[in-house]
Amino acid sequence: MTLAGMKEGDRARIVRVSGEEAVKRHLGALGFVAGTIVRVVGESYGNMILAVHESRIAVNDATARNVEVADV
Amino acid sequence: MSKSIKIALAGNPNSGKTTLFNALTGSEQYVGNWPGVTVEKKDGILSGHKDVVIQDLPGIYSLSPYSIEEKVSRRFLVEEGPDAILNIVDGTNIERNLYFSTQLAELGLPMVMAVNMMDVVKKNGDKIDFEKIAKALRCEVVGISALKNEGGMEAAEKVVEMAKKAVVEKGPGKLPDVPHVFSGSVEHAIAHIEESIQGKVPLRSIRWYAIKVFERDREIIKKLEIGVGEMKHIEEHIRDCEKELGDDAESIITSQRYDFIKRLMDKSLALNEKRKDKATLSDKIDKFVTHRIFALPIFILSLCVMWFLAVAEHGPGTVLTDWANDGFLADGWHLPFTTHECRAEGKYKGMEFEDAQGEFAKQDASKSAWEEAYLEKINEGKSDDDKVEEMPEEIDEKVAATIVAKGVFVEDEETGEPIAKEDNEDEPDLWDVDFAAYKEASEWEEPDPSQFGVWVPGLGALITDALDKAGVSDTVKSLVVDGAWGGVATVLGFVPVIFIVFIFLAFLEDCGYMARVAFIMDRLLRRFGLSGKSFIPMLIGKGCGVPAVMAARAIENERARRMTVILATFVPCGAKTVIIAMFAALFFREQWYVAALMDVIGIAIIILGGIALKKTRFFAGEASSFVLELPAYHMPTVSGVWHHTWNRLKGYVLKAGLIIFPACVVLWFVMHFDWSLNLLADEEIEKSILHDLGSWIAWMFEPLGFGSWQGAAASVSAEIAKEQATATLGLVAANMDGATTGSHIQALFASVSDFPKLAALSFMVFNLFVPPCMVAIAVTFREMGSQKWGWFAVGFQLFVGYVLALSVYRIGVLVAGGGFGIWTALAFALDAFCLWAIFRPGKKVEC
Repeated sequence: MTLAGMKEGDRARIVRVSGEEAVKRHLGALGFVAGTIVRVVGESYGNMILAVHESRIAVNDATARNVEVADV
Repeated sequence: MSKSIKIALAGNPNSGKTTLFNALTGSEQYVGNWPGVTVEKKDGILSGHKDVVIQDLPGIYSLSPYSIEEKVSRRFLVEEGPDAILNIVDGTNIERNLYFSTQLAELGLPMVMAVNMMDVVKKNGDKIDFEKIAKALRCEVVGISALKNEGGMEAAEKVVEMAKKAVVEKGPGKLPDVPHVFSGSVEHAIAHIEESIQGKVPLRSIRWYAIKVFERDREIIKKLEIGVGEMKHIEEHIRDCEKELGDDAESIITSQRYDFIKRLMDKSLALNEKRKDKATLSDKIDKFVTHRIFALPIFILSLCVMWFLAVAEHGPGTVLTDWANDGFLADGWHLPFTTHECRAEGKYKGMEFEDAQGEFAKQDASKSAWEEAYLEKINEGKSDDDKVEEMPEEIDEKVAATIVAKGVFVEDEETGEPIAKEDNEDEPDLWDVDFAAYKEASEWEEPDPSQFGVWVPGLGALITDALDKAGVSDTVKSLVVDGAWGGVATVLGFVPVIFIVFIFLAFLEDCGYMARVAFIMDRLLRRFGLSGKSFIPMLIGKGCGVPAVMAARAIENERARRMTVILATFVPCGAKTVIIAMFAALFFREQWYVAALMDVIGIAIIILGGIALKKTRFFAGEASSFVLELPAYHMPTVSGVWHHTWNRLKGYVLKAGLIIFPACVVLWFVMHFDWSLNLLADEEIEKSILHDLGSWIAWMFEPLGFGSWQGAAASVSAEIAKEQATATLGLVAANMDGATTGSHIQALFASVSDFPKLAALSFMVFNLFVPPCMVAIAVTFREMGSQKWGWFAVGFQLFVGYVLALSVYRIGVLVAGGGFGIWTALAFALDAFCLWAIFRPGKKVEC
């Protein structure tokens, strides 16, 4: 399961982040690492606003597909 | 003076870094660029400490090279080496912020962590144990509230103290006490790497370097020149860790950092459980602002507000612009609320200033009409040599009694200028002026504005006065007033529009909305090879292209960034609206939509240009990811908006002084002198150097419909600053028929083309969409990163502007019945090429 399959209000635990090296590194710095809990705050046409730690991170659909998650 | 202490101020974006910097340095700050790249570097003197410089780094999340900002900041921290670090951390999001802090701590420099927004933390009911964090990260930790100006100074003083102590203690081979955050096998590998790079790096930062080598950071490995054998050995250790932990080295480091922080937070952070997962106010606002359907209308509405504020008729932007151009920079203006009807005895008693001006203009027109008729009469039958050219002192009463002239003063509705008689034969506004009326008219003197309220003289009037008093020659006066000041005043005249655009944008950025705009627009812009973040430079471009191009550096994807730099200046900027306004008034009075049409063309070029560029091999490939932190909405502070606005506006104002000023002096020179350096009268402009220069290149503009020396000269001078096109046109058209500058310009276009309106449209389109002014071109070159890319950008812009003007004119002429020629064929051919470039199938490139 990836973030792209989640709906507004869903919570999940990050398992793995894949994709382009630099983007992966940036996502990591923002807290997208294995074990972190994310919550979908908003969703529009596949683009998402996610709550990670106390911040809100907007990602597009392609990025969301690169974040593998599991149920909490 | 003793060596100053350098303190680097570092922290995540939106952690309140700018607020703290401004509070610490007050007004004593200066902005410079990092050498080689345009990332803003702000230095400021710490208030009350003359020997301490605070260096504001860009807000970044990590010391890994992701964006230009991260690369530059890390190079600064590692290579230039500040004496100490003041790390600002958002207390309401401390876990994420500490990720960067752990990296900073590894640099081995004295560090104070200022945990910001403590007022909000307390209000939320959260508790943070500073001591435990301080112990774990080996630094000092203090709580502050930058917005409320609490604790910031104490934190700064503490870091200064640490820096001073460290300077005294600094011995060469001392291993710093830095936190060890990783698991056994990783620490083991890092220890090995430390051993092999010893001596190649400053000892205090050795751990930081070792971790970077472990992460296989190419830049660092190359810099350290680790031998092949050595590297092979190191690589073995890294592979062992990767195998053991089942992940790549970089991910291991990232997640173990977060693990370390999590363990630390478990001990030191007590979150108020009630707040957990609750939707914040920002989340609720975002429900609307980023809504599937409402997002776009809300955004368009906010753009309409900006448009109204800046350029709408009777809007604040227009009112301020008129004040700047006609009052502040010109003759002068009345202080608001002090105006009253004339109380002084005389002809104007009881009149308002505007009516008085109108009355005087009418009387003055009567006077000159009558004088003209009188001179004509007394010169009847005389040879050219005997003709009287000026009104004689003594008027022949007998002749005078027979003369009834026509008053010709008719005010042009749009421009307010008097219109020439021949253009207005049918106008009812003509009146008879006999000798009595002439005598009456002669008694009217120009109204004295100071009798109508508190009159503040304008800069133009002050300069003219000063020159008059100094008794300088007319040549010098013309140089200063028409040449130098004229150019500078045209640039400054548009500060109000640009100022309003920038204030509005700074407000949107500071309150947090702009990040949402990038998010909303990303879906759309991605199709044209751009990023959602490209939209912000384009909005800034409505004000001025120079900060617009610079704003593009926030885009991480290199292709999208370069495309944004190339395309952003197609948005008609504040200076270009001057060209549009003038041509709309002179040629397109009935086509009210011309001004809006130019904005639409600009947007169309960006979209189509984006599509075409994306299909070239330079820009092929998907910019697939979009990641952006959305800061919580908050009310911007006045000083924050002001700093933001001023930083951008400053460039525009400086441009007036540093570039426009000398350029206008040169322009004045080539306009007023011939090749033998004889001073020319205004009517002799055809002998000027400018005339010859323009003539040499006029052929290039022939296909576009304005191939005269005047059109060429105006177009080239527009590269100094776009608004210069209008000023130059006015000057070079001075010899044309007509009573006003406006009619000169109309006559000029009538003289070069059978279709003057089309030629004028072509001229306008050309000047709007060729490369921007030279300041913006210079910035474009810098931001594109190399000469080759700079030329690519300028070449593309030149091509677009030329093809557009050519098509507008040649196809327009064809439609208007002017026939088909070789240039029409070329226009069609180039248009076909453009369509091909836009619609050809793009290469699929995997990335």
